[in-house]
Amino acid sequence: MVFALEFENLTKEYRSFASRRRLLALDGFSLRVETGEIFGFLGPNGAGKSTAIHLAMGFMRPTSGTGRMLGQPFGYARARRRVGFLAENVALYHRRAESLVRFYGALNGLRGSCLAKRAREALEAVGLQDQASRNVGKFSRGMLQRVGLAQALVNDPDLLILDEPTSALDPLARVAVRELLLKAREDGKTIFLSSHLLSEVELVCDRVAVLHRGRLVRLGRTVDLLQSGEQTEIVARGIAANAFAGAMVQDGVVRFTIESSKQRTALERVWSLGGEILSVNPVRRSLEDIFLEVTADQESKGEGAQ
Amino acid sequence: MRTIFLIAVNFVREQRWPILVLLLWVLLLAFLGLVTDVHRQREDLLFIFKQVAVYVVVFSVFFGGSAIHNERKSRRILAVLSKAVGRQQYLSGLVGGITIACTIYCFALGITGSWTLGEAGFSVQQVWFLMLYLVAASMLAGTIALMFSTFLNPFFAAGATAMVLGLPALAAHVGAGWEYIIPVYSLSAAVLKSSFNPSGDLLWIPLGVAVLETIVFWVLAARIFARMDIAVSVE
Repeated sequence: MVFALEFENLTKEYRSFASRRRLLALDGFSLRVETGEIFGFLGPNGAGKSTAIHLAMGFMRPTSGTGRMLGQPFGYARARRRVGFLAENVALYHRRAESLVRFYGALNGLRGSCLAKRAREALEAVGLQDQASRNVGKFSRGMLQRVGLAQALVNDPDLLILDEPTSALDPLARVAVRELLLKAREDGKTIFLSSHLLSEVELVCDRVAVLHRGRLVRLGRTVDLLQSGEQTEIVARGIAANAFAGAMVQDGVVRFTIESSKQRTALERVWSLGGEILSVNPVRRSLEDIFLEVTADQESKGEGAQ
Repeated sequence: MRTIFLIAVNFVREQRWPILVLLLWVLLLAFLGLVTDVHRQREDLLFIFKQVAVYVVVFSVFFGGSAIHNERKSRRILAVLSKAVGRQQYLSGLVGGITIACTIYCFALGITGSWTLGEAGFSVQQVWFLMLYLVAASMLAGTIALMFSTFLNPFFAAGATAMVLGLPALAAHVGAGWEYIIPVYSLSAAVLKSSFNPSGDLLWIPLGVAVLETIVFWVLAARIFARMDIAVSVE
């Protein structure tokens, strides 16, 4: 299988020249992103997400380990011709939006009428076709992020690496970007998406990875992760509030949540206590729940180790 | 090659305001030449012309010393290097941009100098050759500053460049010919010492050495820059 991105046991250590302090941003990080998938890359601030992306783009050299992007070693300039990249807190030159997108397209080898066409299409894709002749310096942060996305799309890339692409966008623009990503996947593109907006990630990503303190702590298909540890909410009446741990009572109605695997036992217990079942509903976990669970777990492990 | 050209033109575009101010400075010189009695004050005019001309070397050091730092600080370098642009190409573009900026300055100075110095009765045959000297000197000085700026902040890069450029001045005391080891000094000195005498000899050798050394320092800069983590904050 051809992978769009491969991180092989990557370690990145930042060293401060003056204070001799060391910071381990990535610690033996390995990950493979398959072609044609939307991959969500999650982690709390300082987890090493941007470092991993910067290593892939060749902005940095790893302390140890290797990696490949579209089959070429990280840092190989020609491989980037097929890559679109949007950095977190995008910074662009102050010139007319269309001229700017053309500039970046030209840097990726596009020429003449093809370049003009692609620049127009990229601006249209992010909804900025009416702002093409305006100077980017006068754009709002959200618009700037959309121009950043347009410059990433201008070369019709096979691999899109997006670092927080929707952080400054309003809900409408977010929906548009989501549709754009889904369309890109339909066209066979690979998208590597780093985001703190977990609801967005949950909606579009095929697989997700959670990074914590430079280590990969969870990896899997989004559907599988959401189904893991599934829970059920049971609402009953006619039983005592303390019959089930964590149960809440309101107007004589008892509401409690249990693991789905223990659902049958719980229902039989309600009946044996003379209670009446009012409803049984599966509780869907969100990616946010999983993210919080994983990071909290890692934090406690870290504290335990100390 | 087109990538290098695009980066060079973009550099000039980003530096348009400093370049414009420098051009206004040159125009001011021309204006002074126009309003003063150039025949009575011709030595003063020559002195000012030479001084303003040699400033271009200083400007090139500032351009070279701050180019990478500014791009990294603003994070604009990330969008450029996320494209199919090698780091060597990026540096070549910056060297090209510095050279274009200095050439614009020297061209404007050549035009106004030809006119004002001609009005004052000097021979202007050598003006353009001297401008070529200055372009070569500024290209080399800018590249050395760029090389230092790959690992030093602009202030230290400018300081280190000044030291390197000053070395030949000391070396000149050792023996004849040593001032050409890094010919920025000898090229600038040729401009400063020029009497604008039509019989004065100007050599091609320092020009050739300057171009060769520009390539050498560019290779050095590229080697160092290839190992740098550019996404790390420069603060």
